Amino acid sequence: MTDILATGTSALLAFQRALSTVGNNVANVATPGYSRQRVDLSTRGGDYYGFGFIGAGVQVGNVQRIVDSILAGRTLRSAGELGRMTQFATLSGRVDTLFSDNATGLPQPFSNFFDAAQAVAGDPTSAAARQSLLGDAQNLVGRFRSLQGQLASMDRESDQRLVDGVADVNGLTSQIAALNREIVRRTGMAGGAQPNDLLDQRDELVRQLSTKIGVTTVVQDDGALNVFTGGGQTLVLGDQAQTLATVADPYQPTRHSLALSSASGPIAIADAAVGGELGGVLQFRHEVVDAAAARLGRIAAGLASAVNAQHREGMDFYGQMGGDFFRMPEPATYARSSNGGSATLTAGIVDASALTTGDIVLRYDGTNWTASDAATGAARPMSGAGTAASPFLVDGVSLVVGGGAAAGDSFLVRPTAEAAGRIAVAITDPNRIAAAGPLRGSAALGNAGNGTLGAIEVLDAGDANLLAPVTIQFTGPNTYSINGAGSYAYTEGAPIAINGWRTTLSGAPAAGDTFTIGPNGPRSNDNGNMRVLAGLDSGGVLDGGATSLTQGVAQLTSAIGSTARQAEYARSAQQAIDAQLGEQRNSVSGVNLDEEAADMMRFQQAYQAAAQIITVANETFQSILAAVRG
Amino acid sequence: MSGRISTMGMYDQGLAALLARQSEAARTQLQLASNSRLLSAKDDPVGAGVAVVLDRASAALERYAGNANVLANRLNLEESALVSVGDRLSRIKELALEASNDTQSAESRAAIAAELRQQYDGLIAAANAGDGTGRYLFGGSQDAAPPFAATAGGVGYAGDQAQRRIEIAPDVAVADTDPGSEAFLRIRTGNGTFAARAAAGNAGTAVLVSAALADPAAWDGGSYRVTFDGAGNYQVLDAGGATVAGGAYVAGTAIAFRGVQLTLDGAPAAGDAFSVQPAPAQDLFATVKALVDAASAPGTTASGRAAQRNAFYAAIEDLDQARDHVLNVCAGVGARLAAIDQAAGEREAQSASLKSTLSGLRDLDYAEAASRLSMQLTALQAAQQTFQRVQGSSLFDFLR
Repeated sequence: MTDILATGTSALLAFQRALSTVGNNVANVATPGYSRQRVDLSTRGGDYYGFGFIGAGVQVGNVQRIVDSILAGRTLRSAGELGRMTQFATLSGRVDTLFSDNATGLPQPFSNFFDAAQAVAGDPTSAAARQSLLGDAQNLVGRFRSLQGQLASMDRESDQRLVDGVADVNGLTSQIAALNREIVRRTGMAGGAQPNDLLDQRDELVRQLSTKIGVTTVVQDDGALNVFTGGGQTLVLGDQAQTLATVADPYQPTRHSLALSSASGPIAIADAAVGGELGGVLQFRHEVVDAAAARLGRIAAGLASAVNAQHREGMDFYGQMGGDFFRMPEPATYARSSNGGSATLTAGIVDASALTTGDIVLRYDGTNWTASDAATGAARPMSGAGTAASPFLVDGVSLVVGGGAAAGDSFLVRPTAEAAGRIAVAITDPNRIAAAGPLRGSAALGNAGNGTLGAIEVLDAGDANLLAPVTIQFTGPNTYSINGAGSYAYTEGAPIAINGWRTTLSGAPAAGDTFTIGPNGPRSNDNGNMRVLAGLDSGGVLDGGATSLTQGVAQLTSAIGSTARQAEYARSAQQAIDAQLGEQRNSVSGVNLDEEAADMMRFQQAYQAAAQIITVANETFQSILAAVRG
Repeated sequence: MSGRISTMGMYDQGLAALLARQSEAARTQLQLASNSRLLSAKDDPVGAGVAVVLDRASAALERYAGNANVLANRLNLEESALVSVGDRLSRIKELALEASNDTQSAESRAAIAAELRQQYDGLIAAANAGDGTGRYLFGGSQDAAPPFAATAGGVGYAGDQAQRRIEIAPDVAVADTDPGSEAFLRIRTGNGTFAARAAAGNAGTAVLVSAALADPAAWDGGSYRVTFDGAGNYQVLDAGGATVAGGAYVAGTAIAFRGVQLTLDGAPAAGDAFSVQPAPAQDLFATVKALVDAASAPGTTASGRAAQRNAFYAAIEDLDQARDHVLNVCAGVGARLAAIDQAAGEREAQSASLKSTLSGLRDLDYAEAASRLSMQLTALQAAQQTFQRVQGSSLFDFLR
């Protein structure tokens, strides 16, 4: 009798456990990272009764956590990638919208500026047209500055995201380390049985960590989980968590990169080795913010340089030669924080067409200065001596070194990265707009021949004698003198170049004919210079003259759009992969309520049957008692 | 898909599908609301870059149209000023012919001279025509002040010889108004090739009847003098004093040399001379002034009459040259106005082609978008309904 009771009791207990496991599954149906659990039932060893073994009931072998460990690894990698791409796509999308929208982008004010210049060329004496050119120039400069400001604030925001992200990562790694300690302890106490719920918790934390920074894991024999970054640096080792920190850039202290704290100081983590959201932020800063700022700055520098050069060749409404139209943005320079010497660096842009979008590092080895690309470290050809008389020239930038440099000192030069924030309009008086050509020619009214002067082209606006009056007098039909001196052979259409300008004569002049070239007067309605200036948008200005400013603006828009599009594609592809992996994980580990309901019925019925066995045992026992009582 | 699916997975899947349908529909709605296929550059990076260039080209075309309008206005004003000058010159020619008629009395000539003076003032006024914005059409690049002013000796010109060009279409620039120097000052006199003129102190009654270039190939552009000895002979001397031709003078018979045919009438006195030289340039005002002077001359003696007739001959010849010149300038203005019209047509064609390319890049196909939206909304509805149905069925519902 006792064996029937014992068997029934074992069944009652086992099914109670099974039912409570079902209950736990149902209770955790919505818990993130929860893996369903299953009770493994096994028979208890039977008792021998001479004729054979009779079963002694059921026992709970183990409460098993249903997981696919290979799938878990893939899920982790996918979470890291998805975190990175989501962050990158979201941030790039913001820059794309900023540059695409007519109200915030560059194309509209850029186009307006050149239209206003064309309007001045159409009516150079109109005060309204001149005022409107200055207004549109201010708008264009304002747009350059506001775009640069937006990019700078996104750069600061990225930095803040890094700092916040590091705090999150440190929180997660220390929790994982604590869980490791607990899991190892409990596994030991339970003689190897795993604390399922803690494992689920730890897996969920690791998944969150991977979303932040992208990790790989290795399970230890004792149940602890070691966590590494994508680049292999240790984040969690057993119950020890490494602290992640931010370190200031040696050149730009306001920018940070990631490092692991160690007793011997911070160990830098290469940006490429960082995944997850933090990797996305770093990638965004490199590929979008820096690239966009450099391209934008290069357009600003190219515009300022081309417009200024042309503007200096013209004559303003007061009859004076034009000055700078835009204030030329100078390159940003940063001394390395570890510099021991007192050297200073002054940089200027000398050739906008030679500008690249990269940054330059200038390094002193004790005897020589060398220039290299900041991103790749490749050497850049540099000429000059670094003095004011002979500055270093590298990629269109002039560099003058002052003070004394110590060996190992270096500087970062960003020729275009901050240029868009430094451009300004240099003139405020509309009459200072140099619309007119500086020179005008005339043929004496008494000329007997029909020779005519062609257009006068300025070759060198800096020539000291540019505006000096010049008389070309024909001493015969085929010879002429200049200012009464010399005798030159006349060839129709051949250029005559003097004092930094050039013109042509055509037709058949007669002996005694004179032509004079002299300065254009004040209040001239000439538009010779503005016509050329208004056409600068389509002339080759960037990339050594291969790319026009308009193309530069178009490339800026499409480059940012293209990056955002690639990011969007990559994100949605990764999302699909992640969803698929999630589905696979769910199909293995997720709780299905219908399944649990079926299990519940199954175990409930079994439980009821087991209770019935106890009743039967009891009744059997009672019937024997009754028989004894008589 | 394995045979097993978790309840949460089912929920997540249903929800993800729902959200995806919702964001698709929202995107189409935004496209419809903004009438743009491209909401930002990432929707079509290459297209967005091309659109930047085309937008710039399109804006430049509009700006060219603005320039062309200003220019057309100025050229129209120049044309009417030149037509007015031409009309005045025609009237002056009529008056000159009238005044040169021998039947005119000194009084009637004085009346004609008075009208000529008025026409002269009118010409200066026409040459100082403005463009309506305070600038003067014929001042060259110095157009802030009236370019022409009457002085003691004639008319002074304060402008210069600059003529600006204005872009009215891509790579098409048209010259602006002509400077006064080219419109009114640099005018060939005589018959355009050479001018035959009586010497100032001629005492005889010889008058010029005609001076023609019979053989342009023989004309060498030199300066010649036809002199008379008073005994019926003439001599043609070149600039160096060498005799080129000579013979007996017969009134009404042409004197020919170097391709020139000079016909004189009347009797030259000894020492009288006529000069033939390459036509010098003379301004329009000086030509009219000479006419006024000729009409005001007394012309009482026979030689005085001859001098007056020679002066009329020269002035009328110069006047014809001036009128031709002004008409030529006017024709040039007309040609430029025609070029502006033609450029306007070209601009419109380019603009239309740009707009259609831009529209293809950016604009939304409404029919397609509207039907897409309705399809997406149907899909959204289906997703919502299936979500509800699938989530609503659970085995637990039957455990009662």
